[in-house]
Amino acid sequence: MRRKWSKLLGLLLVFGLIAAACGDSGGDDATATTAEQGAAETTAAPTTAAATSTTISDAVTSTEAPVAGPSYGGRVTVGLEAEAPGLRPWEDACSSPCRNMMVNIYDKLFEISNTFEPVGWLATDIAPNADFTVWVMNLREGVQFHNGKDFNAQTVADMFPIQQTGAISGGILAAAGVVDIQATGDFEVTYTLGAGNSAFPAHLTGRGLGTVFDPELALSDPDGYAQNPVGTGPFIMANRDIDNETLLVRNDNYWMTDEQGNSLPYLDEIAFRPIPDEGTRLSSLISGTVNAMQTLRQGTIRDAREADGLTLFEFQGNNVGGGQFNTLVPPYDDKRVRKGLTHLNNQDAVIDALGGTGISLPGSQWFSPDSPWYSEAVAAAWPQFDIPAGTALIQEYVDDPARSDGKAVGESIDVELSCPPDPTLIAAMQVIEAVWTSTGLVNVELTQFDQATHINMSLGVDTGFVGTHGAHCWRWSSDDDPSTFLNTAFAAPTPAIAEEFGVPFSAVNFPNYWDPEMFGWLVEAVKTDDFAERYALYEMVMMRFADEVPVWYSGHTATAIGVTEGIIGVSGWVTPDGVLGAGTPGAEGRWHFVQITDG
Amino acid sequence: MSEAAIIERVLESGSADRDEELLFASMSWGVRLAVGWMFIVIFLATFAAWIPFVRDPNYLFGLFEGYDNNAGPSRKFWLGTDSIARDNFARLVYGARVSLTVGSVAVACGLVVGGFLGSLVGFYRGKAEAITMALVDVVLAFPGLVLLLVMVSITQKRSLFVISLVVGLLSIPPYTRVARANALSVTNREYVEAARAIGTRPMRILVREVIPNVIPSLIAYALIAAAFIMVLEGSLAFLGLSVQPPTATWGQMIFQARSDMRLSVWPVVYPSAALVFTVLSLNIIGDWLRQRNATRSAAI
Repeated sequence: MRRKWSKLLGLLLVFGLIAAACGDSGGDDATATTAEQGAAETTAAPTTAAATSTTISDAVTSTEAPVAGPSYGGRVTVGLEAEAPGLRPWEDACSSPCRNMMVNIYDKLFEISNTFEPVGWLATDIAPNADFTVWVMNLREGVQFHNGKDFNAQTVADMFPIQQTGAISGGILAAAGVVDIQATGDFEVTYTLGAGNSAFPAHLTGRGLGTVFDPELALSDPDGYAQNPVGTGPFIMANRDIDNETLLVRNDNYWMTDEQGNSLPYLDEIAFRPIPDEGTRLSSLISGTVNAMQTLRQGTIRDAREADGLTLFEFQGNNVGGGQFNTLVPPYDDKRVRKGLTHLNNQDAVIDALGGTGISLPGSQWFSPDSPWYSEAVAAAWPQFDIPAGTALIQEYVDDPARSDGKAVGESIDVELSCPPDPTLIAAMQVIEAVWTSTGLVNVELTQFDQATHINMSLGVDTGFVGTHGAHCWRWSSDDDPSTFLNTAFAAPTPAIAEEFGVPFSAVNFPNYWDPEMFGWLVEAVKTDDFAERYALYEMVMMRFADEVPVWYSGHTATAIGVTEGIIGVSGWVTPDGVLGAGTPGAEGRWHFVQITDG
Repeated sequence: MSEAAIIERVLESGSADRDEELLFASMSWGVRLAVGWMFIVIFLATFAAWIPFVRDPNYLFGLFEGYDNNAGPSRKFWLGTDSIARDNFARLVYGARVSLTVGSVAVACGLVVGGFLGSLVGFYRGKAEAITMALVDVVLAFPGLVLLLVMVSITQKRSLFVISLVVGLLSIPPYTRVARANALSVTNREYVEAARAIGTRPMRILVREVIPNVIPSLIAYALIAAAFIMVLEGSLAFLGLSVQPPTATWGQMIFQARSDMRLSVWPVVYPSAALVFTVLSLNIIGDWLRQRNATRSAAI
């Protein structure tokens, strides 16, 4: 009996060992670094019909040349990472998938050029008074909404009360300091601000303030507007089947033409399909189920680069990923801990875990190297990966009898590192955890929360806006003017601090970092339109970050739109005045310049 | 020799060695392989920390020693490495711990609480039975995964203890139902009637006559239910709602590896295969026990 059992076990063990041995690839040796692999992937990238292709290190941002056209007709089906719950620019939360829909239904007053300047779209120009408190904007004539109504200055003025009460626009109006909007002519609008803001036009490139909707319809049917939006854009909502497909059809009366005077858009239809799983979305593109897709994931870009027959429009913008410390909570209230943990962040390994080697650039500030606001001095000052330096700083805190976390001298610090439950983010935080714990001074608890919980923990409405977060994965920045995000991101984090210092309160100061001097620089930066002056102020802000480290960085967020062969014009859009646009920031496609060719 | 005849001989022989031999003889090759697989899995999972060829499952060989991510099988890494260059074999072995722990706790909770509760209400009947079974029906009416998601979401912190406890609590109703059905059947048997007739106290009948005859059916069910629970835990892990990383679980291994599937499919295949083989083994063993138990009951 015993012999039979032994035979059985022996067979299984032998089977297991043979399986292991057969799989030997001779890989006992540590092999080439993943960075080298990543560089090879970049070389093997599919062709990008780029007029300007900025290559920084091994990452790519491409802008396609405007196409000659026209080749009319056809349909593009775009795979999106999520559904857009609502399409009201003043009310509904909107991320990249939603913006992909909105930008084709609505026009904005201004757009961002390829030099990241606001350039006129529905507006022709805008000019301030001496102290930047009054801005007069002129509008383009001959523009109509999808329902036939005319667009004019009164439209913009009538949008104001709706925007004031809007969940999205209300905060943006406050941040921009807008106190009044008046139609001062048929096509002239005057904005009055509570305080001077030299970067005010940047707010008009955004969705909350810059997107033009029909105010009359928005008032009469606000709920219906969410699913049946009416704009002046190149496409009209034809069918909205939530979680399945949103179909837009050509606006035959669209006001804009291409540079040769041909009417836009070229396509007959665009369909948007939410396909949340990254792999499935890419497979859908490769198989032809969809013929375009957007992604914000570096791992997907990596895989798409390897696929045949795809054209990728990548964008390496200012948006930077990493994490934030809750600076009002021990032990993160101590600079030594924040800086020490940041020294222990191996950016290359984290980017690799995110699938971004050769795609994303390591971050050192809120601006990418191709941004006009980028500072080499800040890059040099940022705490680099340095285990001895990081360990020394944390050791100093651990040995400090006055340490803020109340633990005994010599005890390890407790850190909760939290990210949303995305496979690549989880891999990245395990890399961070491994280095932090390797010092023997840090106990790390990894937690995952869905995106909404993750944000609410940082928002901290129930805790006086302090939040219940410790060290959190986060993303910051955009390709807009720095004032549009920095001034709100680092205003007073709690009402109590706001009252004490007599400054605005901001619920979105998620790291809870309050530095009156630095906030003063941010305020100063919108009182002048002199670039050099502003650059110096933002450089000081970023230098302060490098010293105080309220946040840490992994890499800049590479995004991409992928299309199948024959689809052109994705990133080569131009403004009505012929200025080359910014391309596809945040994987946002202006599909009105897209056409389908034979090949 | 038919299984019934084997069982008959087992009952007649009274010899422990003979019992063991006949038990083995009654197993098909499928059952033997299933038992062997479970033995290996349980052995490795239990003694992983002391087995020299099972490395630290959370050690990043890429970061600290320069090995490749998503590397193929080699002499050093039998099953290759994952997306951050951890040893897939070590993670597979340690991942079994979570699956087995959750499965075992669910079985224990189900057997002890559900088994006793079901036997109790099945034997005594009355209002207690009506109320208990109504509650059981309500719980069973919810899709298991949805209910599990709700409970796990409420707990926020997700340690192995919490996950096991939640799964264990949710395991009680089905065991209650199975135990009650069997208790109803056993209660009508002649030997129970006889015990009643001679004035044996009801609680003694329950403990001495009913529960011992309910247990074999529950054990057969437990193995199949444990397999289901393992899949459930895998689903939870895949949804990011099981034990927190870096603790290895099979479901989490699949979840994490899927983002690199185009680079290497093996990190997905290994835990998936382990889960399939384990679930299959438990089902085969459970079926075998159920058949064996049915034959024995018929013989009695």
